[in-house]
Amino acid sequence: MIPGPQDQPLFDQGDLIRPLNEHDRTTLVVDNEHLIRSAFANSPEKGFESLFRLYYLPLCSHAVRFVYTQEVAEDIVGEVFYQLWKTGAYTAIQHTYRTYLYAAVRHRAHNYLRDELTGTRTVSSLDQVDDGRLDETPQTLIEYDELFQRVEKVIHELPPQCQRIFLMSRFENRKNQEIANELGLALKTVEAHMARALLQLRRVFLATVSILFVVFPGLYPLPG
Amino acid sequence: MEDIVNKAVLFDYFSGRVSPLQKKSVESWLDGAGNRDLYYQWLHEWEMSRLQVTANWQYAYGKTMSRMNNSADGPQMEKQQPNRRETGIVRQWINRSWLIAASLLLTLAVCGWLFRDALFYKTVRTGFGETRSLTLPDGSTIVLNANSSLRFLRFGFGEWTLLPDASYQSLRTVELVGEADFSIRHLPNHQPFIVMTPKGVTILVLGTQFTVFSRARATRVALRSGSIRLTSHEKNERPLLMHPGDLAVLNEQGKLALTRTPHPETMASWKNHRFSFELTPLREIADILRENYGLTVVIKNPQLANRTISGSFTARNANEVLQLIAQLLQINYARDNNHVSFTD
Repeated sequence: MIPGPQDQPLFDQGDLIRPLNEHDRTTLVVDNEHLIRSAFANSPEKGFESLFRLYYLPLCSHAVRFVYTQEVAEDIVGEVFYQLWKTGAYTAIQHTYRTYLYAAVRHRAHNYLRDELTGTRTVSSLDQVDDGRLDETPQTLIEYDELFQRVEKVIHELPPQCQRIFLMSRFENRKNQEIANELGLALKTVEAHMARALLQLRRVFLATVSILFVVFPGLYPLPG
Repeated sequence: MEDIVNKAVLFDYFSGRVSPLQKKSVESWLDGAGNRDLYYQWLHEWEMSRLQVTANWQYAYGKTMSRMNNSADGPQMEKQQPNRRETGIVRQWINRSWLIAASLLLTLAVCGWLFRDALFYKTVRTGFGETRSLTLPDGSTIVLNANSSLRFLRFGFGEWTLLPDASYQSLRTVELVGEADFSIRHLPNHQPFIVMTPKGVTILVLGTQFTVFSRARATRVALRSGSIRLTSHEKNERPLLMHPGDLAVLNEQGKLALTRTPHPETMASWKNHRFSFELTPLREIADILRENYGLTVVIKNPQLANRTISGSFTARNANEVLQLIAQLLQINYARDNNHVSFTD
């Protein structure tokens, strides 16, 4: 059967028996983990060097799908590697290093995004996560996948100028004033675009947003 | 189920291009042994085929290694971090200080909420056998009888507050539990003085002298001079206008009834440590002893409980009252701490 166009209906049953597309053919890594293991047998430094070489870039690329800031993504991935090294958890990897690293990065990226968008940043978000004890169910795996897909969709659906400004700010690490100068816009306009993008992003987590009401007491009769 | 999930399906799934049914089959496939590792292998391959960033792994590796070495050496670790790590730490630190500020604020708010009474209200309490006189910021004087409490606004007493229905409520307001005698100053702007009681009786005053008895067993108001307006919980009940010499009593049905009393001041005779009885049964005197001195009174004989006392007497403490009663009725009493029993 001939592969259908990318935008074919979701329910096309042809999907199931479609031949592998180009992405499948460009398989770069199948299982290099035995190489990593032998490197670790040599020394932790060698082991981590091969871990970094193999997984650092794709992990950053994956974390960016959640947090949409390269700097934050690199911090998250770097922290996962650092914790793996510091705690000595690399000596007791249950499955594969790959599973450990992806699960940990996704978990931290998810928490970071949740905290950023719901404004509930806690110390535990980045530091006190036990990467080795993640309780992953099929539901959490799918929940995380749906999350980064929703983020992607929201950013994809931003108006062109808004999207451009958002990406300049997040990926090129540019200040609002610089963006305004470069695009010939008022600072306020840039800020408005950024606010709009963030507002849209917040919808990804809207369900969990909680508001703290502080109610001041009025004069009321004493209880009988 | 498992055979319909393959790498191609998972790739489409990662790209968000699968039907809900396919997603469901991915979910059940993930439950299979070893499939989680396969899932991550394919996620990794999928990611490798559509990388979104460029990042230097050698740099990151070197950074992590120096972090490792420095953390072994102790606290100098932060100093030797490359620039970007430093901004990361500064950001974390700022986040942390925001967190601390926020939690402090929250703690304050919670404390403020928990202690809002102490914060917003001043409460004056009297113990058993104690009376106390106080002057409010508006110049009114109040004498509290024993075992009573008066609560009023610490800030803003005597001001006005805007109600939701656009009317103003006077904050010259006090809440009373127990007994008190009021001498309310009439203000030039005729601002009313309001006394609220637990049973829902509210007394609206311009400037006058009156006594309120508001305890568990009864709510009574006696007016000596001026005029006051009473309202009860009952919404459809008309406010009761009291004139000097009036005694208002809240009955069991929660309705206010008005009677005349020739000596309204006797209801406040406790101010001078005097007890005014007028055919008052011993049963009621037992209530007074309980309310004012915290005594538990037992009257063995029901006939004895119905015997009455009339007259005005001075007694400075519970023992003097007990002796007085015993003499008048020619009976005996025994006191053991807070327990008193009367016998023929």
